[in-house]
Amino acid sequence: MAPSPCALCKVNRALILRPKDHSKLCKTCFIIVFETEIHHTITTNVLFTRGERVAIGASGGKDSTVLASVLKTLNERYDYGLDLILLSIDEGIKGYRDDSLETVKRNAEQYGMELTILGYEELYGWTMDQVVEQVGKKGNCTYCGVFRRQALDRGASRLGVKHVVTGHNADDIAETVLMNLLRGDLPRLSRTTSIITSTPSVSADPLSNTNIKRSKPLKYAYEKEIVLYAHHKNLDYFSTECIYSPEAFRGSARALIKNLERVRPSAILDVVRSGEDMVKLVPGSDEGCGGVCSSSVPAAEENEGGCGSAQGRSTGGEMATVEAQLRHNEIAAADSLETEITAKSVNGKGNGNGKQPGQHESGTVILSNDKKAKKGFVPKKANKQVMGQCKKCGYLSSQEVCKACVLLEGLNKARPKNKIEVGDEVQDVSLNSVRDEMQATSIGGA
Amino acid sequence: MPGKHVAGAPDEPCRRCKDKISVLVVRSEPLCHECFARYVHTKCIKRLESFRVNFGAPEQQRRILVPLSFGVSSVTLLHILDLHLKTQKSKTGRTGFAISVLYIEEPDQPLEAEELLHKARKQDPDHQYASLPLHDVFRLIPDDASIRNLVPQLEHTNDSSPQEQLARLIDSLTSATARADVLTTLRTRLIVEHAKLAGCDSILWGDSTTRLAQRTLAETAKGRGFSLPWQVSDGESPFGINFHYPLRDVLKKELISYISMSEPGLAALVHETSSGVTQASTSSKNTTIDDLMKQYFESVEENFPSIVANVVRTTSKFEVRPGAASDPRCSLCSMPVPGGRFGIHGWGGDQEDGDNISSVKPTRNICYGCTRSIPKLATNTNGN
Ligand SMILES: [Zn+2]
Ligand SMILES: [Zn+2]
Ligand SMILES: [Zn+2]
Ligand SMILES: [Zn+2]
Repeated sequence: MAPSPCALCKVNRALILRPKDHSKLCKTCFIIVFETEIHHTITTNVLFTRGERVAIGASGGKDSTVLASVLKTLNERYDYGLDLILLSIDEGIKGYRDDSLETVKRNAEQYGMELTILGYEELYGWTMDQVVEQVGKKGNCTYCGVFRRQALDRGASRLGVKHVVTGHNADDIAETVLMNLLRGDLPRLSRTTSIITSTPSVSADPLSNTNIKRSKPLKYAYEKEIVLYAHHKNLDYFSTECIYSPEAFRGSARALIKNLERVRPSAILDVVRSGEDMVKLVPGSDEGCGGVCSSSVPAAEENEGGCGSAQGRSTGGEMATVEAQLRHNEIAAADSLETEITAKSVNGKGNGNGKQPGQHESGTVILSNDKKAKKGFVPKKANKQVMGQCKKCGYLSSQEVCKACVLLEGLNKARPKNKIEVGDEVQDVSLNSVRDEMQATSIGGA
Repeated sequence: MPGKHVAGAPDEPCRRCKDKISVLVVRSEPLCHECFARYVHTKCIKRLESFRVNFGAPEQQRRILVPLSFGVSSVTLLHILDLHLKTQKSKTGRTGFAISVLYIEEPDQPLEAEELLHKARKQDPDHQYASLPLHDVFRLIPDDASIRNLVPQLEHTNDSSPQEQLARLIDSLTSATARADVLTTLRTRLIVEHAKLAGCDSILWGDSTTRLAQRTLAETAKGRGFSLPWQVSDGESPFGINFHYPLRDVLKKELISYISMSEPGLAALVHETSSGVTQASTSSKNTTIDDLMKQYFESVEENFPSIVANVVRTTSKFEVRPGAASDPRCSLCSMPVPGGRFGIHGWGGDQEDGDNISSVKPTRNICYGCTRSIPKLATNTNGN
């Protein structure tokens, strides 16, 4: 095949088929265009201010490594005037972080950035290994998820840093949009699609309410392009991201996204766009603010792409649980509807286990009881959570005491621990094999 | 597909009548033949509250349109509506509405429209039947100039037949996804136009729960998240006519079972044209986004029917902004586009920097999703 010239410089040989739009580029142009697009994202969303100290949430994985590299490059090229530092979290799982933390340490040297590694031990008083020892392997993922969500913010506030950037990419966002549609979780849909989120800090004084800003400069960058960039820039990264397989909904959404990308390369971006538009349609959203108030979207319960539930491995465990819950609600609603009808009709068949209307659980799933709700214009019950601060730690929470503090309280109460066998089950499952597995199981091999 | 084995039917008595032997398990309830039929009918008729017999104005007969594709869903819907009208008639001597049936002939489709409609007419003779070729969309839509602008023009001809225009439009599309998307859009618009001309106040679509969930995710994937409040809800549509989905609480697999157990005359009407049982296409070149979502939800409904239903329920919680219906419309799909943000440029995900400013101003008023399907300006001759 005749070598085609690069679509941009028209001089060099094209070596890269750009995943995002299938344009043919040379290595140099690809690297430039990738960086320029992220610069564009940074400037149009005004992610940074001059002189700002910004912590890059660094795991040693490809996303955060590319983020650090690109930010260093752009900071110098465009003179952002940022003070960039690396912040890593050590969950305290023996052996798990060793390699990735080594990678982060090398990155710190390569990029000349200050690095801070904070352990769960320091942040929470418990390492994950200790949690597992305490609660057993079954429930530990609840802890891992809740602790992980807060760790970067808690860490940043320890360092007095007000802005944390993370390596979430377009694939992650798109996946989250589909996942939240599949789970029927509209509030979370709003929280995960915006590029900037913020949380009140975990300062000693809960009233100080100093915000920690979170942003995702790679929000519109394709995962495949991140891998390509890392490859062509010879970046030093560690390829194991998370030892847990994704929960079923996320796995399912991930497989869909991969298949969509194959059918139409722009689809990842298109899902992200849909997600942004859908946020304005969620009841109770601050629509029409033109993105100005997006910084008020709380990140507290934002889903971190990585770790999922322990049930992920037993295929569809989570989906089965949700299915059962929804089924239960449906039956309850049908029963209550039936009792209503029975009460009205003269000779209705008695309904033995008839529940009272409204008796059914008010889970996240609210059944519209066939009310002739007029389309669209009438505000329906908005499922908006009121965000406040945790009384104990000051972290943003919809409850009086945040989840982490509740879990910690439980752990601390039971402190003199009852010994439970700790299995050495930390497996190195590469991201790809997990994905392939999910793909194979969830969509019947398309 | 008729004859599909109904899985898991135990020799258990029917959970509802507690008399007959069950023939299939529906959402973990073993049901007999009659109770299953009643289950499907009830779910559908429950959705027809607003189509009761109107004793106030007996001289005014409401007319509704049922688009018939000869798939299991629309055949079932028409059948249940027919039964419903007969019940109304026998109870009150009147009916709440009259039915117009419309079949759309799509290009390159082997279906013998005449023959099928003849069979349908024999099955339910009381309705009006019509059949239109899809290219009539260029003839019927009043301000078809905007749609026609999307058709690549030949240099020398200003006027060409609607048939040619459709062929040229479809030929200009570069992917299976785009072709499927545009065909569906045109089909909807033609159905709407015909319904208005036929004096119908509502269109009753045959979409099942599964199909509505599929559409939710497909439109999301195609960049039409902005239009979701209009995609699956009963009631006012952006087209100036009401949309209803009476089978919204019935799963696709339940409709398949329904048809397979029904009288032979009904099953004979079913012609799944679009490749029948959804199979994973071997090449991604021929796979469409709609296909992907179809496969996905047909697999999810097997074990997680409530999750499928919940997707639809969630989507119908989306609210449109007051006044949204008067937003500028997309020339192709006719959806109200918030703030008139046409095209794929000028948002965060459009990372092209300054030098390409000309592309930021949309030259056509089509929405983000439609622009993905018809990316290039079809004609240079009319120079915006
Ligand atoms: Zn080049
Ligand atoms: Zn707390
Ligand atoms: Zn029965
Ligand atoms: Zn459109």
